[in-house]
Amino acid sequence: MRRILIIDDEDDIREVAALSLESMAGWHVTTASSGAEGIRAALADPPDAILMDVMMPMMDGPTTFKEMQAIPAIAHIPVLLLTAKVQGVDQRRFAGLGVAAVLFKPFDPLTLASQMSTALGWTT
Amino acid sequence: MALAYLLVATLLVASVALLIAYNRAQQQIRVLTEKCEEAIRLSQQQQQTLREHRHLETIKDEFISTVSHELRTPLTSIRGALGLLSSGMLGKVDATAHNLLRIASTNTDRLVRLINDILDLERMDSERASLQIHRCSLPELLVQAVETMAPMAEAAGVSVQIVPEPNGDIIAFDGDPDRVLQLLCNLLSNAIKFSPPGAPILLHTSTTPTDFVLRIEDAGRGIPAEQLETIFNRFQQVEPGDSRQKGGTGLGLAICRSIATQHGGNIWAERNDTSHPGRPGSTFVLQMPRITVLESLPMSPAIRPSGTILVCDDDAGVRHILAEQLRQHGYTVLEAERGDQAIQLAEHQRIEAILLDLYMPGLSGWETLERLKNNPVTADIPVVVLSALSPAARPSRGAPLIDAAQGWVQKPFTETLLLAELGRVLRASAGPGRILLIEDDNDLATVVLSHFEAGATAGEEVSIQHVRSLHQAKAACLAAPPDILILDVGLTDGTGFSLVEWLRQQPALSNLPLIVYSGRHLSEREMEQLRLGPTQFLPKDRVAPHDVEELVRTMVRHLRTPAPAAPIAAPVGLSA
Repeated sequence: MRRILIIDDEDDIREVAALSLESMAGWHVTTASSGAEGIRAALADPPDAILMDVMMPMMDGPTTFKEMQAIPAIAHIPVLLLTAKVQGVDQRRFAGLGVAAVLFKPFDPLTLASQMSTALGWTT
Repeated sequence: MALAYLLVATLLVASVALLIAYNRAQQQIRVLTEKCEEAIRLSQQQQQTLREHRHLETIKDEFISTVSHELRTPLTSIRGALGLLSSGMLGKVDATAHNLLRIASTNTDRLVRLINDILDLERMDSERASLQIHRCSLPELLVQAVETMAPMAEAAGVSVQIVPEPNGDIIAFDGDPDRVLQLLCNLLSNAIKFSPPGAPILLHTSTTPTDFVLRIEDAGRGIPAEQLETIFNRFQQVEPGDSRQKGGTGLGLAICRSIATQHGGNIWAERNDTSHPGRPGSTFVLQMPRITVLESLPMSPAIRPSGTILVCDDDAGVRHILAEQLRQHGYTVLEAERGDQAIQLAEHQRIEAILLDLYMPGLSGWETLERLKNNPVTADIPVVVLSALSPAARPSRGAPLIDAAQGWVQKPFTETLLLAELGRVLRASAGPGRILLIEDDNDLATVVLSHFEAGATAGEEVSIQHVRSLHQAKAACLAAPPDILILDVGLTDGTGFSLVEWLRQQPALSNLPLIVYSGRHLSEREMEQLRLGPTQFLPKDRVAPHDVEELVRTMVRHLRTPAPAAPIAAPVGLSA
């Protein structure tokens, strides 16, 4: 079973996204509500992929991603950014970070898992 | 004695004359000082306004970004929760509850689309969504659009057919594929929404020598004649309630028109031929220019490459390549490794133009340029600067020599670009100055034109062509590149921003001298976006058409016989 870590500061979005991935793809989902908590969770139990919000207080998505890249134990875990910013400049900036994919809010809960699979090249 | 008296009298007269002259001079100095002070005050005022405008723009940007994010975040939760509930994955819901969930879901989607569309329009209107121009294949984009909309068409029981192009031509054009695809999908989505089940939507393409035309014909309920134009306005729909029933935002067609005009094209709606009872409904017509990026400009026989070009660059490799390319095109080439060599050669040989590298050890390109322009023997030889700086990014203030060079080519350059700029410079130094006036206000254009007629002087012939739209301006530039452009920022079918953006992408037009004659204040950022070759900004409320004429004549004189160290001066206090 695939294991996903969701990092988002919005409780509701965490819950909906987790429910969506669990019920649509049957993945095992854990969540974290901040970048720092996410890094701790990933270190304690490395997931197969991380779905992370861009705009978070303290440490935002891109910063958290860079921090993770600097830690060898979790640098290899693919990260998908989830953003409510749809302006071209932002999209290009996020895509330039080296993340596996940039997905957009609002996401469709019925296809979120398949979007992630496609981006990660997962066939199962 | 008499002689002495005469001498004294003469001296007296001379002193009086001198005194009068001195007084006059002082008076003139006072007037000039006042004028200078006034100009400085105006310039400071303008700077202040510019700063305020820039600040406002930043606030607006931040606001839009925040609104976008803050609205999307709660919508994400709502959309997700509703989607999961109505999918039935979490347990069965009864029919009434399911219907309510469906209503909530569709309206959330509508709200999301609305936010996206408003942001899209706002971006396009502020010209920040610059086009990424590529060579596109119209048939490919059509197929892509039809495929994208296929699920929607299927759900509505409507078929979409691409009618093959009668000549079998594959229509290619220069455009931003993402934007054009967005436009096509919007049009198709509209046609599908308003078509009865079973009625096909037909896509016809055709070409004119300069444009392609796409017709999207539906058999829907049609658009009343008086609304054919207003439906392109924001939030305008044929029938109130359409947006609710059909799930549109009322912004789709406004976005389509915005995209079409950004490309220098147009879009409009027609009622289908009513004598054709089988096909009521409407046809949306998109007309866009096919070629907007020129690989090279045709050169007239009169300026067939000939003559001697002096190449001055410290890099032997660069010199060699340049010389080779120029020789292949019929020029004779002299090479100089250093600035002082170049000056010496230019003094003693007949040279048509100089290609000058800006950064060289020893005598720098700037110094070389200065000496060339200050030397009466070499001052008239046009210079094309080779620089890593873009012509738009070259320093615009405090560098009086900046405009002493007639041409500018950014490194790294292509052969085409170099030859086009060299051709332009050589061409510009002969014949009447060709001015293109781009102004949609006919009255103002007439006034400017009449000033040119009235001010015509022998030996300073200026031929001026007036166009009213973006589309005509592009066509005119492609037909015969002008020497100087006079541009009004607001045009009926687009803005000066998109024209400048287009011009920048044309190797042969990217360094044209430009006068921006604008009816409104421009922010510094806007000025940057409007900079082409040597660019002057003249606000309409401060600069009379007469002054425009004078400036143009100065610029033409400069193109013909560059005066040493005599920068083009805009009317006092207004140069930017």
